[in-house]
Amino acid sequence: MSRALVTPSASEGPLASIGRFLRSDLFARLASYLFLLAVWQLVALYEDRFPGPAEVFGFLWIEVTGGRHGGVVRGEFLGPFAATLPRFSLGVAISMVLGVMTGVAIGGSKLAEALLKDTLLVLVALPAIIWAFLTQMWLGLGDDAVVITTFLSAFPFVAVNVIQGIQAIPRDLRRMSGAYHVSRYRRLRHMQIPAVTGYLFAGFRFAVIIGWNAVLLGEWFSASDGVGWRSRYWYDANRYKGFVGWVILFIGFIVLLDRLVLVRLQRRAFRWRDAQLSETERQAEEIDVGTTGA
Amino acid sequence: MSSTTAERGPRGTAHLSLAGRRRVRAVAGLVIGVGGFLLVWTLLSEFVVGEFLLPPPLEIGQVMWKIVRSGAFIHHFVPTILRLGYGFALALLIGFPVGYLMGTSRWWRAFFHDIVMVAGSIPGITYAVMALVVLGISILGPVISVGLVSMPYVAINVAEGLDSVDRRLVQMSDAFERRRPSVVRHVLIPSVAPFAFAGVRLSFALAWKVEQLTEVFGSSSGVGFQIRSEFEDFSIPGMLAWVLLFIAFMILVERFLLARLERYLFRWRPEEKR
Repeated sequence: MSRALVTPSASEGPLASIGRFLRSDLFARLASYLFLLAVWQLVALYEDRFPGPAEVFGFLWIEVTGGRHGGVVRGEFLGPFAATLPRFSLGVAISMVLGVMTGVAIGGSKLAEALLKDTLLVLVALPAIIWAFLTQMWLGLGDDAVVITTFLSAFPFVAVNVIQGIQAIPRDLRRMSGAYHVSRYRRLRHMQIPAVTGYLFAGFRFAVIIGWNAVLLGEWFSASDGVGWRSRYWYDANRYKGFVGWVILFIGFIVLLDRLVLVRLQRRAFRWRDAQLSETERQAEEIDVGTTGA
Repeated sequence: MSSTTAERGPRGTAHLSLAGRRRVRAVAGLVIGVGGFLLVWTLLSEFVVGEFLLPPPLEIGQVMWKIVRSGAFIHHFVPTILRLGYGFALALLIGFPVGYLMGTSRWWRAFFHDIVMVAGSIPGITYAVMALVVLGISILGPVISVGLVSMPYVAINVAEGLDSVDRRLVQMSDAFERRRPSVVRHVLIPSVAPFAFAGVRLSFALAWKVEQLTEVFGSSSGVGFQIRSEFEDFSIPGMLAWVLLFIAFMILVERFLLARLERYLFRWRPEEKR
């Protein structure tokens, strides 16, 4: 009897399962990629200078496998990344160290906060392009200009996050642990470190995303190798498929790094705070790079 | 009734003096903050970097004054601000329907999920150079860049706003057999509009930076264009004067105009106080 009830839906078989697939999240995501490809293709049809998907992926194939572009220029893929990543990591590392130092100094003292908070606000507001231009004028072309552009663009954001973290420890908790004579170790372990690590990770994530943009800009203007330089190389050669191809590579790099590593770290570090957030709120929290430096 | 009026008297005066004290404190904070900024700058330019590489505040101040007095300020600020405005209008125009779909249907939420997620981490240089490649030197470049940068923030906030719509109001409208368009117009839009605006405000800082960058790359007027021409003249004071004028202006707009507008839009929800 119960079997008879089940079979009709099962006998719809392929049609029903296709319908379910069309309504599934997976298909929605696939559809969004197809939609983007279609938009891209339309823009390419409308504007001749702009290369379509087929051209760009053809270019990327040659660039990644190291073939020759029209017999002259050799494809390069790992080379530019190998040149950029050390500059990028060094810039982000310096910005973390100096950002934490500045943040602790400002967060720990009322006077320092009053004196330096507006300076920090201006630094946060300065677009990365200014640092790219200034460092080029100060230091000429070369690695130094790129690393310093990266570090100067990213470090204010780290500092701001560290300050927030230090100020976010609830006063009630501090008082209560004082009243109940909670040991210094347990206070550090269960109150101070969890409060600051979340913000520190958020700061690190900002530093990475902002630093990546800054390193590309820096290389666009003052380097002779690297990812930013390579995209400019194709741009200057009027080979826009090369430029668009590299845009895909450098967006792909940062998106993978962000989604696979940074967001997970951040979720983990903030899990004590965000446990009750809905999916929408969490998403809002994660795209909130609202103060990012372009 | 009488008890509330009796309470209002002393509390009102207390508020006034509290507000007054707060204002004094805010002004003092501003003076100390600006003083600190000028101090750090002077120290850097005197002892660390050197006056040639980082001109002292006074010199930049003079250049700023020249820019403002010569009328170049108005001439280049107006187009930049207009483009920002059009860009935000575009963002609202696209972000509203996208956010509506995301907030009401699971399928559309999954559809836009990746697009919205990725948008926040796209380096600004992408928008700038892409606009130049597709549109050439054009006023549309900055407008479209601003629209694309802010759209995801508007969409996600609209979706969040729909989550927070008072369900009972919707149920009541159903009970009284209001039609769908009328529910959208009288219940959904008023409760979601402030969230859409909050999206604009969140993306504000990012949007104007991307706009600057787009102007640096492909524009023949505007603040970004001026920054580029000063760079090409190797004029550090000129570049700093333009960018600092612009930052000061933007911080003022954000602090006073946007924050107030947002408070105004959220005024029917006292608990929201963002």
